[in-house]
This record gives sequence, C-alpha cells and structure tokens, in this order.
Amino acid sequence: MALCEAEKTFILHSVEENFRIDGRQRGDYRPMELETNIVAPSFGSARLRLANTDVLVSVKLEIDSPTLEQPKLGKIEFFVDCSANATPDFEGRGGDNLATEISNCLSSAYKSSTAFDAGKLCILKGSKCWKLYVDILLLECGGNLYDAVSLAVKAALWDTRIPLVKSVVVDGNKVDMEVSDELFDCERLDVTGAPIMVTVCKIGDQCIVDPTTAEEHCSGGSVVVAVSKSNFSTILQTGGGSLHPMTLLESLKLGQTVAQRLDSTLINTLKQINDNSTDVGFLK
Amino acid sequence: MPVDLKRINGPENTVSYKLYTPSKTFKEELKCLFKSNNKRQDGRNSLEHRKMFIKTGIVSQAKGSAYLELGNTKVIVSVFDPREIPNKTDYSQKGVLYCEFKYATFSCPQRRNFQQDSEEKQNSIILKQSLEPAVCLHEFPNFQVDIYALILENDGSSLSAAVTCACVALAHASVPMYDLVTAVTMGVVDNQILMDPTLKEQQLCEVFDETDTKSDHGIIVTSFMSTHQQISQFYQTGNINLENISKSISISTDASGDIKLLIEKCIVNHVLKGANKSNEE
Amino acid sequence: MSKKKELVSKIGLRLDGRRADELRRVRCKMGVFSQPDGSAYIEQGLTKVLAAVYGPHQVRGNRSKAQHDSAIVNCQFSMAVFSTSERKKRPRGDRKSSEMSIHLRQALLAAIKVELYPWSQIDIYVEVLHADGGVYPACVNAATLALIDAGIPLKEYVCACSASLANNDIPMVDISHQEEMLGGPTLTIAALPMSEKIVLMEMSQRFHIDHLPKVMAKALKGCKDIKVILDEAVRSHVEDVGCSTGWSNTSQKIKV
Repeated sequence: MALCEAEKTFILHSVEENFRIDGRQRGDYRPMELETNIVAPSFGSARLRLANTDVLVSVKLEIDSPTLEQPKLGKIEFFVDCSANATPDFEGRGGDNLATEISNCLSSAYKSSTAFDAGKLCILKGSKCWKLYVDILLLECGGNLYDAVSLAVKAALWDTRIPLVKSVVVDGNKVDMEVSDELFDCERLDVTGAPIMVTVCKIGDQCIVDPTTAEEHCSGGSVVVAVSKSNFSTILQTGGGSLHPMTLLESLKLGQTVAQRLDSTLINTLKQINDNSTDVGFLK
Repeated sequence: MPVDLKRINGPENTVSYKLYTPSKTFKEELKCLFKSNNKRQDGRNSLEHRKMFIKTGIVSQAKGSAYLELGNTKVIVSVFDPREIPNKTDYSQKGVLYCEFKYATFSCPQRRNFQQDSEEKQNSIILKQSLEPAVCLHEFPNFQVDIYALILENDGSSLSAAVTCACVALAHASVPMYDLVTAVTMGVVDNQILMDPTLKEQQLCEVFDETDTKSDHGIIVTSFMSTHQQISQFYQTGNINLENISKSISISTDASGDIKLLIEKCIVNHVLKGANKSNEE
Repeated sequence: MSKKKELVSKIGLRLDGRRADELRRVRCKMGVFSQPDGSAYIEQGLTKVLAAVYGPHQVRGNRSKAQHDSAIVNCQFSMAVFSTSERKKRPRGDRKSSEMSIHLRQALLAAIKVELYPWSQIDIYVEVLHADGGVYPACVNAATLALIDAGIPLKEYVCACSASLANNDIPMVDISHQEEMLGGPTLTIAALPMSEKIVLMEMSQRFHIDHLPKVMAKALKGCKDIKVILDEAVRSHVEDVGCSTGWSNTSQKIKV
C-alpha cells in the first residue's frame, strides 16, 4: 500500500484528535467475528475475522517423545502459512519472513509454563507426550495480524479436545499405550493463561491499538505485547523505528490493560458458543 | 527428525543416559546461583556486567569486522560491502540490511546444526531490527549490506553481544550511522534481576519450575542508542510483571551508556592507528 | 484386497448414500474477501476450497515475461497443512501442488479471454482448506467463480467433475475421498459445458476402452450440473450486490 504525504498527515491528525479515520478512539478495536470448530479434520479450530484481517487456526495432535532437556513437558509447535490469497506478494516463498516472525513470537509467548502448561501434555516422562501442531493460515491481511492470530490461537486451543489415554504399558524399552476409542471421551485444554498479543502502534506522539494497514504505514514504531493473565510473556518491537524508554513503558501499560480487557471478552464469548450450532464458515 | 548419516548415531530406541542421572531440583539450582557472600558464581554482583573485550578488523576479507568477548561468550561479526539487492526488480528508496545470526556447531553444550534453526532465525530478525533504526539506510538506496554474526562460544547473553559487536563492525566498515547501538541482556529469576546472565543462569531464567507459579522469570534483551535515548529493539520472553520490566529498562539503558563509552574508545583507537600509519607513510 | 467392497450396492446406493449420478452437496459464495479483486468459496461435500483473483494488473517481477498480445495467467495451488487427516509438512512447493497449478492454469486459460489484456497479468490463487476427494474439480469451480467475481471476461463457465466406474459396470459421478481410497479408476474432466468442449482430461488406473464413452459422458453431465449450480450462485450474487447498491435508483437517475 502506498500513501501520499497528505494521506499520512490526515491519519496523523486523526490520531491526534482521538477520532481515527474509521471513527474509533485510540484504544478501540474494530468489530470481530469468531467461529470455532470450523475445520473438520482437526482436534480444534477457529476462524477469526477482525475487520479485513482473516485468520484460520487448526490444532492437530500427534504422539511424540519429549526432548532430553525437558522430559516432563509436552510439545507445542506453531506453523504460520501466509496464503497468497491475502496478497500476491506472498506467492511462493514470499510470506516466509512474516511467517517465521509470527510463529517465533507465538512460541516465545507460549514458552513459559505459567502461560501454557505443557506438563499436562506429557503422557509418560521421557518417552511419550502429545505434540500440538498449531497451524495458522492467514487468508487476508487488513492490519494488526499479531492480535488476530493470538486471539484465534487461543480460541482454537480452547476448542481443542485431547483424547483420554486409557492405559500405558511399559515393557522393557517398549511403551504401548491405549487411547480411548470413545469419540466424546476427551478433555479440554486449560487455556486461561494463554497469552493475548496486542500491537501498540506509535503514531505522532500518541499510542494506538488495532492499527489498520494505512495506520501501520504511518507508525514510527510499534511494540507487540503478549500478556498472560497480568504478566508479560513476550515483548517484541516490530516494523522498524525506535522508541524512547518512557514511550515504551507507556505503550506497555496500554498494551497490558487492553490485553486484559480483550482476554476477558474472548473468554466470555467462547463460553457463549454452544456446540450444536450449525456451521456457517465462509458462506455467511 | 532428520538424522545426520555421516555421523555415528546411537542405536534406535535408545534414550539418553541423562534421563536417569540424578538432577538437582530447581530450588537447589537456585541456591547455587549465589555464593554465600551474595555474589554470583563468577564473583559478580547481581547488577554487574561481565568484562568485555572488543577488537576491530578481525576478518581481512570483510569490509568491516569485529570480535567481542564477554566472559566466555565469543562473537565474530563481519560486514560486507554494499551490493545490489538480489532477486529484486523494482527500485527501493532505502537500503536493506541482511543479518544472519549463527551459532557455530561447536559453540553450545549440544552440537548445533549447520542450518539455521528457528532460534537462530528469530535472533537474526532481532539483530536486524536492532541495527536498522541506527543505520542511515537512505545513503545507499537499492543496496544491501550483509552482516554475519557467528557465535564461537555461547556462555549466555550471546544475542546482545552480537548486537553490540555488529554495531562495531558496521562502524569499522564505515557504514553511515546515526548512533551506536549497544545491547544488554537481563535475566529475571525468582523475582531477582541478573544483569548479563551466563548460560547457566540464562537457562534457569528460561526454564521454570511449575510448582511455584507466582514469581517472575524470563529474559530481556534491550538494544539502546544512548545519544538519542532511543530503544531500537526490546525483546522479552518468559513471564515478568510490569514493575520488573520498568526496573530492567532503566538499569539496562544505564549499562548501555557505559558500554557505548567502551565501544567509542575502541573505534577511536582504530581510527588513530589508521591515522598514525598514514602519517608514517 | 480379497474382499473388495462394492462401491455401489445392489439397490443402487453408494457408500455415502448417494445415487450413482448424484453430486455431493455444493454450496458456494462469491466475494468472501474484500482485498482481492475477486474471491470465492466453494464446498463440494466436505471438500472446501477458497479462491482469490488479483488482476489484470501490471506484470510483477520479471517484466520480460509480458506478452504483447495476451495476458499472462499465473496460478498457484496450495493446500493448508491441516486439510488432510494426516498433517502435511508443507502447504505448497511439492510436486503434486506444482502439477495441480499447471493443470489449473491449463483449464482456466481455455476460458479466459486473455487477448483483451495485453501486457498484463492475472493471478489466481487457490487454497484448499479441507481435502475430501475431488480437490481438482473443486479448485476449478472455485477459480471460475472468483474470476467472475473479479469481472474478468470469460468465454463461458469452466467446470470440472470427476467420474469413476463402479463394479466394472456402473459409471458414477463426483468421487469422494473414501471412494478414491477403495480403488477404482478416476477420470477427471474440466470442460466448457455449454459448448461441450473438454479442456483437460486426466485419468488414473485403468478400465477397458469400451467403458470410456459412458464414464466420460457421466463426467460431462456432472460438469453441466455444476454449471447450473454455479450459474444460479452468480445470478443471486449479482442480484444481492445490485440491490444493496440500489441499481434501480441509479437507472432512474439516468432517465431523469
């Protein structure tokens, strides 16, 4: 997207006046739509649409062996795929840089055991554990990718059901395990601590959340803040530019309050979703 | 998992002996962090930086290079001449930095692969973003400057060492810059802030005991331009509250200022040496 | 397999309860996204495909590719890693995806009036969200809808459908994943159903050449059926969009 100087000034002034180009205030989000259980061949899935940003997340499970350093922990892996549907620039391997940036940020945010307890994914210490594959598909980019992705990931993990392991038999070096055959014999993951990421964008002298693509272009620097409960699990500056220490602290504070607000709204929304509603998907 | 067939691997279905060796509990490890006189294992205070050694002009083939030692952590960074951005057809107004962060295969307790893994890729991105705001990118439009950081030995805080070293290397390569970037790593464990953690301490900060979920833990890497008072990159991971973060920011910005003096001296030395040489001729 | 499961039972029902000449449920929607010039979503049974069209625009990348008498059509097929029951390693770049991209391009090139856009390029991106048999046909149909949504002139609809031969005798249409797995040859046809031209035909495994005409006729019939469904979707979409922009009002204004 290319913006001329006049457009940039217009956006700058709109942020200054606390009345952004789409009528929002600085701390406001655009409308969101969330749907869970949308991809059939996975254990949990969610689709989030934040204005023009569209993210589809699916969670798959596999049995794996834990790493040597952490024999008591299960594994979680994030894979981001930037679909060329979003922009022709992502064709071929064009979206790889953005994809690694987002997936690294996610894995760093989920690394702490207070944010996400991987110990629950362990089946037998040192030999068997669940591996969660969290696959994120970016279908449309309309600004504020990190926030949308983190919300969708949390919703998909909420939706995920892990089959119960009935028995584990250890015979010498061989480990046999039996997974329950019953379709509904499964447990949900505990995701209350799962981090929510908020991108705080500095435009002019002010900080805003949920920037549109145009606003992202005018930003002098932005910080992605991942907040789990009330603590920070990851902070990362993105998109070039530098910040004064005081500005950084202010944006951290803003990010923290916004993330907590977002988190409680998400949990409330997820609780309202009932299982027997019909699938809408992309047909709406 | 891909197996390197050129190496002798253990038989299949074997597990490492380390699983069965008695390991210290987290509490015991924490106790080992400090000696009885409240000093760390290497005799430092909790907010004391390790001694640093910097030298420029290490790699003769590169346009600019620097070597940095931080305790046992050793880094070489080489910067190459600007070249046209490869595989690009349209003109770009600004120059581009290309950064590659790599652990040497022998640098860590566990052998590293030749290919970059995701941690190294992540560090490459952070390195790039730390340096970008400081470099006058408009001075070399449509060109790319390649920066290669190689960690020869990893004893903690390797990313911040690479950032500082890369900045010296850029200066040595006479790439125009607004300011010098210096980076400091802070570790937080059990509500205590440790400056410039060693590998052992860093691992304790990253891996966390599940039983005690209240206290903070994590790593903070701050890249700071002290003349302009600007943070060019701030990376944190773990689980830390706002209070500890704000404390770490002020501590690390102060420390960055000290390191900057050191770097300046090193660069001035290099310039003086060059001037003397030309005088002799 | 000693005891081969019958694909069509004695009373003429298939494994999922369809008749031999019955398509799976097709649901589609045009204009799912706002950023691409055209986009569409199609569900055929459980197979779900998204398509997006960008262009016609200036040739990106290597300018020397531009042609003076026609547009370049660029297709990319990609499958989400979670689309199959076994997780895929990579969404694209493997042999199967590049083959699919080429086949897709071949089918669409037959319908697009490329001669109207010299020195330009049309990008068509297809993303499979759930693969449950008949991936290629679904992709072609989705791409057709997306092209129409983008307003790119087509000679006519291009539709695709698969067909198979059950019990070595009965031709059946629109093969699901389960039926693909159980064996039996699969014939995939992409056709221009109004002029009854075949633009791409692909077959796996074998049957006697005598069976070919009737299986082909079946697949072609399937293409025609799909065309009817697509046509209906396009008409209702145009009506929706037209109503919301108030086309009756504009026409009145013109009269004044």
